Amino acid sequence: MRGGVFTALCSGAVTSAQIVLADQSLVHPEIAEIMAIEADADYGAYLASECTACHSPNPQGAIPQIHMLPESYIVGALVDYRIGERQHQVMETIAKRLGEEEIAALAKYFSEVE
Amino acid sequence: MKLNRRTVLSGLAAGSAVLAAPMVMAQGAPRVVVVGGGAGGATAARYIAKDSGGAVNVTLIEPTRQYYTCFFSNLYLGGVRDMDGLGHGYGTLAADYGINVVHDWAVGVDRDAKTVALASGATVPYDRLILSPGIDFKDGAVPGWDVSAQSAMPHAYKGGSQTELLKAQILAMPEGGRFAMVAPPNPYRCPPGPYERVSMVAHTLKEINPTAKILIVDPKANFSKQALFEEGWQKHYGGMIERIGPDFGGENVSVNPSEMTLDIDGVVEQVDVCNVIPAQKAGEIAHAAGITEGDWAPVNAADMSSKMDEAIHVLGDAAAQGDMPKSGFSANSQAKVCANAVLGALTDSRVFPAKFSNTCWSLIAPEDGVKVGASYEATEEKIASTGGFISETGEDEATRAQTYQESVGWYAAITSDMFG
Ligand SMILES: Cc1cc2nc3c(=O)[nH]c(=O)nc-3n(C[C@H](O)[C@H](O)[C@H](O)COP(=O)(O)OP(=O)(O)OC[C@H]3O[C@@H](n4cnc5c(N)ncnc54)[C@H](O)[C@@H]3O)c2cc1C
Ligand code: HEC
Repeated sequence: MRGGVFTALCSGAVTSAQIVLADQSLVHPEIAEIMAIEADADYGAYLASECTACHSPNPQGAIPQIHMLPESYIVGALVDYRIGERQHQVMETIAKRLGEEEIAALAKYFSEVE
Repeated sequence: MKLNRRTVLSGLAAGSAVLAAPMVMAQGAPRVVVVGGGAGGATAARYIAKDSGGAVNVTLIEPTRQYYTCFFSNLYLGGVRDMDGLGHGYGTLAADYGINVVHDWAVGVDRDAKTVALASGATVPYDRLILSPGIDFKDGAVPGWDVSAQSAMPHAYKGGSQTELLKAQILAMPEGGRFAMVAPPNPYRCPPGPYERVSMVAHTLKEINPTAKILIVDPKANFSKQALFEEGWQKHYGGMIERIGPDFGGENVSVNPSEMTLDIDGVVEQVDVCNVIPAQKAGEIAHAAGITEGDWAPVNAADMSSKMDEAIHVLGDAAAQGDMPKSGFSANSQAKVCANAVLGALTDSRVFPAKFSNTCWSLIAPEDGVKVGASYEATEEKIASTGGFISETGEDEATRAQTYQESVGWYAAITSDMFG
């Protein structure tokens, strides 16, 4: 299934970061908190190695590309999976194990790596 | 590092510039030697080379020039994938990652001298050794079968030519013929693998030989994703597949490869194809290195180091690590934890907490995919599961097609994660 509350918002023209800052009531407050964390680049690179078993920069089949997505979009998607707002067996299992620091580090990493 | 006589001689033969090389290496970069260029070994070599940026000297020892994945080999048997798509070379690892790829067999490990002996006679020194040799078969596991019988009764449990042979035999079955599988006891590589194979063989037979029958002889009372497979077999291949479990003699089987018969608890069955998947153990080199206990090599979960030698790490199928199934996904996941730990030990890079995951997809019929998976952490004692998921019986076709398409994405991603 695609799209939770947050990911649905992101399809508009405004950037997702703006939405996060503009209207806290529409999104989970966690997203703004995570966006405020200073991401640890080394940790992000290490954590990302779990994801690249499935997420390739040249995706095929039904695993979407996450490389170069906006940081806030990745944060939003992972939060949605973590709280079950967006349902998917694999991604919920993975996201439920991620703390805020981990989500921040991963989102930063994938938003910048090609 | 001690310069052995062979190194000096080969250096001399090639001229003085080359002679200097071992000396430079002795004072310079730490050396990691990886044995086995499969799911665990290729991943570990690539991550160590990539993340060290040249600060670590990585040698990968692998006899074959083309690695044929076991994963998706059942899809080849089902006509869903071709063999070419399963083959992967080591060129990118050598050219883009600077890995010294040596196509040879490791035949011994001298743990005191910290060297690996190769079949060619060469000796390769290491600071850290990573073994990911996969599996070998236990002698005498299925009476009447040994590797000399693998042409008559293929295992097809190592990739490549064995898989092609099994497929050729299936295609040559007489109309209404019989395919038998002798399934392995736990633990073995890829728990759902034999049952995905039965599904894919059934799919091929349904297309070209619909009156053919499949017989599974199984020493296990239960098997991975059983409810999902049995539901799918009923739905797609009703009446074609019969399974004999331990209650009816499934653990008391011997074979006669020249007669093409199986003896199941005293009852002799004549078959046309017999796929024998014997009981398994860690690849021979792990035993030769003296780091096994029983059939497998016990490891510390935090860094995949051997419990018997902290300069050796064991990945993938060969390791006794705890809760993870022996899968390509697991081996790849363990390799990244190991790479991070090895880099931390040899350079000043940061070491992060071990964290593992696995998902195994299986294809029951084209577009009817199922999955099982879990996350894991390192405890003092073992790699321990922190929770998982499994597909449900009765899922709709769209969900199953989506699940299959995920496996397509995973195959592309993991093979590029391994081979660059
Ligand atoms: C039919 C089938 C289907 C499967 N499907 C899946 C699946 O869908 N998903 C999944 O995750 N897993 C699957 N697997 C399991 C997967 O293939 C293995 O778990 C995985 O390959 C294990 O990785 P490894 O590194 O331990 O060993 P391998 O990948 O087997 O690599 C070992 C390598 O070591 C080399 N080697 C061995 N001995 C030596 C030596 N002495 N010197 C040098 N090199 C040596 C070998 O040539 C080989 O290339 C399947 C397996 C089978 C048989
Ligand atoms: C076992 C395979 C697998 C692994 C490992 C995996 N993912 Fe995913 N991921 C998927 C699949 C499949 C989807 C699509 C799920 C859906 O339809 O909602 C997905 C979706 C996503 C999305 C949403 C993308 C979008 O376009 O909306 C993000 C973000 C994401 N994953 C991040 C990650 C991160 C970060 C990791 C590592 C911590 C990771 N994934 C590990 C399989 C995986």
